[in-house]
Amino acid sequence: MKGRGGLVLATVTLVAAALASTAGAGSSTVARIQAIKCSSTMKLAVLTPYTGPAAFLGQDQGSWANLAVKNIGPKLGLKFKIVAADSTLDPAVAATAAQKVIADSQVVGVIGPATSGAAAGTSQAFFDAKLGAISGSATNAALTKSVGGKPKTATAAFFRVVADDSVQGTRDAQYMITKLGAKKVAVFDAQEPYSQGLADTAEAVLKAKGVAVQRFSVTNTTTDYSAIVNRIDKDTDVAFTPFQVASNAQAVAVTLRESGRKAIVFGTDGTIDPAFKFPGSYVSNFGPDLTLIPSKKALVDQWKKANPGKTFSAFGPPAYGAAQVLMQATKKACVDKKGTITRQDVLRRIKTVKIKDWILGGSFAWSKKTNDPLNGSFWLFQIQSDGTAKQLGKIG
Amino acid sequence: MGSHFDDELTSPVEGAREAAAAEGPASPAVGRDEWVARHGERRLRRGGPLGTLEERLRRVPWWAWLTLFVVLFALLPVGVTDAYWRRVAFDTVLFMMLALGLNVVVGWGGLLDLGYLMFYGFGAFTYANLRSDQFDLHLPTLLVIAIAVVGGALLGILVGLPSRRLSGDYLAIVTLFAYQIFISILIGGDDIFGVDLTGGVNGILKVDPLSFFGHSIPVSKEGGEFNVAYLYVALVFFTLLFVALRLVDRSRTGRAWRSLREDSLAAQLMGMPVPWLKLMAFSFGAAVAALTGTLLVSLNGSVFPGNFDLTLLITIYAMMILGGLGSQAGAVLGAILITVLLELLREPSNSRYIFYAVLVLGLVAVLRVSVRLAVVAGGVILLGVLIRVVVDLVDSSWTGSAPDGSGWLGDLLARWVVEPDSVAPWLKSTAYISLIALALLLTTLRGWTRLAVLVPVLYLATFVWENVLAVQPEVTRYILLGALLVVVMIVRPNGLLGEKRVEIV
Amino acid sequence: MIGPALLLGLVPVAAVDFDRLFSTLVDSATLGSIYALIALGYTMVYGILKLLNFAHGDVFMIGAYIGLGILHLFGGAADPSISIWLVLAIMVIAAMVGCAVVGVTIERFAYRPLRTAPRIAPLISALGVSFFLQYSVQLLFTGQHRTYDTFLMDGGRLFESVIAWGPLDVSLLRLIVIVSTAGLMLILWWIVSRTRMGKAMRATAVDRDAAAMMGIDVDRIIVFTFVLGSALAGAGGVLFAMRSDVYPQMGFIVGLAGFVAAVIGGIGSVPGAMLGGYLLGLIESVTQTYITTQWSNLVIFSVLIVFMLVRPQGLLGRPDIRKV
Repeated sequence: MKGRGGLVLATVTLVAAALASTAGAGSSTVARIQAIKCSSTMKLAVLTPYTGPAAFLGQDQGSWANLAVKNIGPKLGLKFKIVAADSTLDPAVAATAAQKVIADSQVVGVIGPATSGAAAGTSQAFFDAKLGAISGSATNAALTKSVGGKPKTATAAFFRVVADDSVQGTRDAQYMITKLGAKKVAVFDAQEPYSQGLADTAEAVLKAKGVAVQRFSVTNTTTDYSAIVNRIDKDTDVAFTPFQVASNAQAVAVTLRESGRKAIVFGTDGTIDPAFKFPGSYVSNFGPDLTLIPSKKALVDQWKKANPGKTFSAFGPPAYGAAQVLMQATKKACVDKKGTITRQDVLRRIKTVKIKDWILGGSFAWSKKTNDPLNGSFWLFQIQSDGTAKQLGKIG
Repeated sequence: MGSHFDDELTSPVEGAREAAAAEGPASPAVGRDEWVARHGERRLRRGGPLGTLEERLRRVPWWAWLTLFVVLFALLPVGVTDAYWRRVAFDTVLFMMLALGLNVVVGWGGLLDLGYLMFYGFGAFTYANLRSDQFDLHLPTLLVIAIAVVGGALLGILVGLPSRRLSGDYLAIVTLFAYQIFISILIGGDDIFGVDLTGGVNGILKVDPLSFFGHSIPVSKEGGEFNVAYLYVALVFFTLLFVALRLVDRSRTGRAWRSLREDSLAAQLMGMPVPWLKLMAFSFGAAVAALTGTLLVSLNGSVFPGNFDLTLLITIYAMMILGGLGSQAGAVLGAILITVLLELLREPSNSRYIFYAVLVLGLVAVLRVSVRLAVVAGGVILLGVLIRVVVDLVDSSWTGSAPDGSGWLGDLLARWVVEPDSVAPWLKSTAYISLIALALLLTTLRGWTRLAVLVPVLYLATFVWENVLAVQPEVTRYILLGALLVVVMIVRPNGLLGEKRVEIV
Repeated sequence: MIGPALLLGLVPVAAVDFDRLFSTLVDSATLGSIYALIALGYTMVYGILKLLNFAHGDVFMIGAYIGLGILHLFGGAADPSISIWLVLAIMVIAAMVGCAVVGVTIERFAYRPLRTAPRIAPLISALGVSFFLQYSVQLLFTGQHRTYDTFLMDGGRLFESVIAWGPLDVSLLRLIVIVSTAGLMLILWWIVSRTRMGKAMRATAVDRDAAAMMGIDVDRIIVFTFVLGSALAGAGGVLFAMRSDVYPQMGFIVGLAGFVAAVIGGIGSVPGAMLGGYLLGLIESVTQTYITTQWSNLVIFSVLIVFMLVRPQGLLGRPDIRKV
């Protein structure tokens, strides 16, 4: 280093250190065992992509979590605040963001991580910190269950309020066989955990029942589906597109029709979105149409008022539910521990929470064996001729 | 800036001796040419105490600076007890190492390597495969790191082979192709002829932490907090790396690389084995990246294809070039600046301080402390008050209070600038775009028109900041980073610590 | 002996699925057209400034958003207030104009001050601009993926077959994309090779200083180049979004593809960029239809590496002869 460089570097390090210590001069007591006063403003961290190609997740889950905190906090007599932690799609960035959450002693729980990769990567840290992480969208079955003889990939500190891929994939496949009479199915995946989990399960079930399956693993640099659609046999009945990004499913549907193929497109939660509106298509969603339930419609209106000009995907409302569970668990802890709690108190009470008026309809309870919902339900929608999704009923 | 023709010119012989003495015993005997070459430098040197100080500092050997820097860095955890910032410090060290490695390829070798991340990934996955339950191998840490580094170097040679036939931008694109192939293998790697090599999109989990001489270093302390021991390990590797690269830079290879970068054709004519040198540069950079990869995965305990997205490469390039291409200190500086900046800007209150500090400093720098500055400042404040009064009369819901967590500055500003409870999307877009347009226009104006336009632009800037930018700090920090890159490049095209290069036509 | 052998040779020919083959060719033409449009912007700017304009993909993205805005202005795809065809035309023109403005602004403020700087400086400036554009759009319009709802336009007319001769089956939308891009490229070719401005552009690309000495206003030519390149990118953005979706990061992937196309065609060569675009489209389509979807990236990029090794200067690039 020349003199100039070295001096500059040393100065910068000092300044950066000074800034960092003012910005993050946390107490030396480990946040895990630090006592949190229930009378203070407690925080719920939302760990989800806020930037990058999946930024819509951050937008949806963040805004629904905010709504939950606004509605439910006062009812419980507690003050909550939402803290955003951008995990992007890079699990290493998620790990650093998780540290930020852990180091903030006022955080009592985490809503997320949104992606299965981040969930697997951060779970040990959250377990050590005794911080409960409830996800509304990480549906990889291996997170809470042992798959293929391998141990589960997440810890006991990871929960999810929506049923996992193995359930959804199975039910969707069965529906295709029984109700849609499919003999030939084209199964897609987008080379990421969400779609791959669903696709693997569905493919296995379909093959077991003697359905001919063509599997297409689409790279994330694919923008035009024509070439892939060209490979699909002309007499294929159903195209299963469990994409997170609805517009890709729409592109598949449109391209299928353009090439003269008659296959019906069957999407999953990610495709409940204004961008997917191909008439005749089906979508299975882990939540019902909220606007059909009067009590929930008011919530949707409230959300729309707080977020003018925006729409939300299916991954938004479960974040509301996750926040609700966390807040209820915190309330229980506050009552039991008489106003001063620790994170572990909250974590221990998460599985005792039962919610009667669940955001996704019906009631909510935890499964006894795993950190999944007791009766994860899925609803079936069909896209009408005007592009809207009409709920047909429960699936499976 | 006066020229100091007469003060410090000494006779050539004395000057040569002086120069030779300054360089130390290892300096070449042909000191005369050195002295002549340094003549221009001496003319441009600052006079007075500052100049003397600079000159003294320049004489301090590089390893002294390195030691100081590393010691300061190592003392960081004393002042910074927040586990998050310690983890950020670790990330920064990794970035520093990556930037140093890329500096070898791009800065010293002059090769645009767009596939650099594949070596990073290679190192990480090698470690993950050899120290986890994936193949039930738990080889010793140092052995695995050595394998990763050597493997990375070999892979670097392989990928660098096309450099014999391709030049410049064509080589760049081929390295990009290689990277895409690598990612493709990572993603589909859970079933390569039945073997699960990479875990596919779900990656490899439960990777062993670092373990030296039988002592395993846990990745987190009780409570899930980052174990600062990893920061120290990373610092050790960084120091070793820095010293190693420095020694290489001073060696024949380093000098050969410098000549290669300046003019590869001339270098070839002088008998340099140019193709071999290019491969060496590639290989070195790859080895460094592989080493860094092992550190990454050992802390995270897991590795996924998503860890090596192309946006990461862009960040490393930005760091390296911001700091100054070809300068090791520059690469380190760039890494620190960008990482710290991005993390600081996550908090709305932090970013608010930074934004307004930059605004005020910029204003002072352009206008100097003068009547003009007072006029502009006064004008802006008046304008704000005026607008607020008018808007309040029209619709008082527009002059709400600041959202929580804005800090004292945010509260103060909320009293002055108009902050509607919910801003209509059209207003957001219009205000934002007009701010950019006006700000750009401002750079072309001069004189009193500039002052006149400056006042409303400053108000608009505050309005846009409070209502549009500060609301989404995660996104805003990248906008600010982008603007920073452009501005720094225009002001200092060689980067912050880069040396001015004379390109011979 | 020869007879039956010949007959045997005809079997694979008969087994060729001509439907699929022709579909593939049409696919590659559609895809390749877009790549070519973007590649042209890269290659023209590189030819004159030796700059890889990383922000070009984001200009393309802005074009798509401008188109979206216009579409909404006229009431949306399903029920526009005026004829949808008119709306589409306005969308393309508005995108071209808007992107030209953006491109010129970028050149004026982010690249011009760096004309004499080392080559890597404008590269990083371009990176900064790219970040700025991408995240600004996300800030204002969120990261949500939006669509043009193309299949709702005129009752889905755009996806109906317009040419159906045996195995050749082209939908109206594809025809529009292929023909309009070809038309735009033809106009560009005419400008570059037949007009004075074009001649000045070519001269500046060969030797900037000599061109200046010959009385060419280099600044104006550079602005003109950016206008052309960005307008093409804008048109490409709208045409692309007709078949795909609109979101802030879309410029990254497609821009990368355009960049690859420009380089394999020989960076700096205008016809090279056009050919490179179609070539890339062909490789991509053939790979994904005939060979593999999961490993398509592996195959495509391996092919491209081999191609670059065999022809290091790209399709129509000039071999690098450096004078000492």
